[in-house]
Amino acid sequence: MAPRENIATSSHRRRPSVPFKSRPRTATVSALPTTPVSGLDHDVWNGLPLVDSGDDMEGPVLYDVKPFPEQTGRRRSAKSFSGLRHSVDGLRALGRRLSVTLRNKSSRTPNPPSQNESEIETLKLRNGQESGYDRPKSVPAFQGFAIPLPIPGNGSEPPILPNHMYSGAAARAAAAAQNEMARKVEQMKLTQDSESGIGIILQDRFDDSDAETDFVRVDPAVAFPTEIMANVLSFLDPESLMNSGLVSRAWSEQVSSQHVWRDVFRSHYGGRGYTGTGKQPAAGLGKQFFQQDWKHLYKIRRELENRWKEGKAAAVYLQGHTDSVYCVQFDEDKIITGSRDRTIRVWDAHYPWACRKIIGPAPGEIVNRGPLYDPEQQASGSSPLLTIRPPPACAAEIATIHEKPSDYHGASILCLQFDDEIMVTGSSDHTCIVWDIKNDYKPIRRLEGHTAGVLDVCFDHRYIVSCSKDNSICVWDRSSGLLAKKLLGHKGPVNAVQLRGDLIVSASGDGVAKLWNVTSGLCVKEFSSKDRGLACVEFSDDARSVLTGGNDRAIYQFDANTGQLVKKIKGHSGLVRSLHLDNVNRRIVSGSYDMSVKIFDAQAGELSVNLPGWTTSWMLSVKSDYRRIVATSQDSRAVIMDFGYGLDGVDLLES
Amino acid sequence: MAEKTLIMESNDGKKIEVPIDVASRSILIKNMIDDLPEGAFEEAIPISNVSENVLTKVIEWCTHHRSDPPSSGDDDDTRRKTTDIDEWDQKFMQVDQEMLFEIILAANYLDIKPLLDIGCKTVANMIKGKSPEEIRKTFNIQNDFTPEEEDQIRRENEWAEDR
Repeated sequence: MAPRENIATSSHRRRPSVPFKSRPRTATVSALPTTPVSGLDHDVWNGLPLVDSGDDMEGPVLYDVKPFPEQTGRRRSAKSFSGLRHSVDGLRALGRRLSVTLRNKSSRTPNPPSQNESEIETLKLRNGQESGYDRPKSVPAFQGFAIPLPIPGNGSEPPILPNHMYSGAAARAAAAAQNEMARKVEQMKLTQDSESGIGIILQDRFDDSDAETDFVRVDPAVAFPTEIMANVLSFLDPESLMNSGLVSRAWSEQVSSQHVWRDVFRSHYGGRGYTGTGKQPAAGLGKQFFQQDWKHLYKIRRELENRWKEGKAAAVYLQGHTDSVYCVQFDEDKIITGSRDRTIRVWDAHYPWACRKIIGPAPGEIVNRGPLYDPEQQASGSSPLLTIRPPPACAAEIATIHEKPSDYHGASILCLQFDDEIMVTGSSDHTCIVWDIKNDYKPIRRLEGHTAGVLDVCFDHRYIVSCSKDNSICVWDRSSGLLAKKLLGHKGPVNAVQLRGDLIVSASGDGVAKLWNVTSGLCVKEFSSKDRGLACVEFSDDARSVLTGGNDRAIYQFDANTGQLVKKIKGHSGLVRSLHLDNVNRRIVSGSYDMSVKIFDAQAGELSVNLPGWTTSWMLSVKSDYRRIVATSQDSRAVIMDFGYGLDGVDLLES
Repeated sequence: MAEKTLIMESNDGKKIEVPIDVASRSILIKNMIDDLPEGAFEEAIPISNVSENVLTKVIEWCTHHRSDPPSSGDDDDTRRKTTDIDEWDQKFMQVDQEMLFEIILAANYLDIKPLLDIGCKTVANMIKGKSPEEIRKTFNIQNDFTPEEEDQIRRENEWAEDR
């Protein structure tokens, strides 16, 4: 400890011109041991008054007042880092850093102030005496790595990290170490400067004094060839990249690289790889082509995200169905809805959102004319920016296909999913139909096996999974259409299913959600809520969490591995009928019998946007992508909640 | 059985004996080994761009990671997603800025992609979340923009639409 103190003191002596009052620091040091500093090694760090971040806590508050508001945050983060490190390592590391830096400095800086020269010698000596903090030059380096090096290669003692749960903690810590070194130097200056005791901005004065400090700083844009600098920059987030462009001309030039922008944009808004079923929702990452302006795309995307946060969306109503619209899925090209009127409609996803096709019985045969609400009657709540109601085309004008009853469902369309090749629909007629999307929605086959209405369906490249009011789940082979398994166990109608790899999660009206293994056909886990019916279920992309919604009006999040309830998300005042989890943008979108669609932050579980009363009856199905939500309602309409409506350039985000 | 080794020579003339599998973390060296006949490594391989203390660090890293599986393809987007650095590497990178930069340059020269990435991530993390002025301070950079140029860039970064 003693040499450390000396170093600290001696570095003050290096600035004889700066008036040095010992009072505040001494006071701080003596006060520290009783201070409840929450760091693992604070006793060690207390020995380093100069660099100890404890200074800030005890130290005069006026250091932290206005002139350097941003310092507060940084110090705090650095402080928490100093708490992570193993105490001895921390001390040694500091010793080593100092010695390395000084050594480099003495050899590299052409004319160091002579005053410093002797200082360096002393320090070297001391470090030498402390034996082995610095690697002895005489020992062949080969031995150096055969024996674990003291610092930082001391592999036998893992660093103590505060929280292993968050990925990136180590990365942040590494950066914090780097930042801390810079900060220490900064702090030495600040501490001394602040002793003038007045709150004026002193920063600029010391910009040029950096060279005098014992911490060598290098401009990476100068030190690195372009490709390495580009590599560094492409690990940034877009905002940091924007800021980097304002650092200097050299940086600005580097940042202007479209290659860097492409990497940053795509990794910031891209997912880790889609594992879900059906077609992957559009990601809004734009097209990859030569001379794409990625920075421009980022700005559009940033604006779009703002609109999501503020709940600014236009409403586009798709009118044409003559009864409740139970299900929907969409991509950038089309929106497909299924209804109690026994038809499936394919709509254009772009202006003017025309209905391209009606799949089902000829218009005249539709018998189930259900409640049709007055579309003018809007419930109160945060309303659309703009409402668009393309006039419903006369059904007779739209190409209706499949006029043979064997070619369409004989009752309500309750569920549907599609990808680039097929669409699968489930109906109250107890069957599923597999349609050929590439060949004008021709029916390929009918899946028969359920003894009651098919309430939900999903599929991946291997299986089609359907669940029914008959309490069972059927697993079908996608290519042959043969029934591969029947999963029995639910005591009520199975309202929803999701599939991820070998796992199926299902939610039942009996109030239980179950996790199944497809291969064994066995139930491997149960998530029980109170004995109230569940209506919908979602599986996260990593298959780690399960979301359920139902009669409880709450959304439950379970850990798929442990079966534990992780979160209960409240907000709805009616049955939660439909859930959509957007893993990439971390949004949970829910539709409820309270006639609202709500958007929750998937991480915090907090309500971020409430969109009440955009339709005049129950919300039955919701889906979303990067730009819009499509919700369907019992009032026989589907509504596109378009957050990108009228946003200049938003179409550039399409893939 | 004695481990097969080769000798690397730093630009300041220090010779370091390194097991082949450790040295092979460097694609530069690995390609050299693959191309040359057995026993061609009696003489030291000059690593002309790297000084002894940096080379020692790099070898230390290679030794720790000697049995890592080869990197699984270059899925750029997924690779970039992981800002995580494992604990050992994080500690390894706790060096002063100059050493950090030299490790990065050496990793680039020796073609050790994972080490290069860890280094670049570490530098990126020093930039993240900082204002331009804070970045300048971190790396001791002079602001050489004219106020007009700076304004121009700021305007470009803004969204044109009224908010």
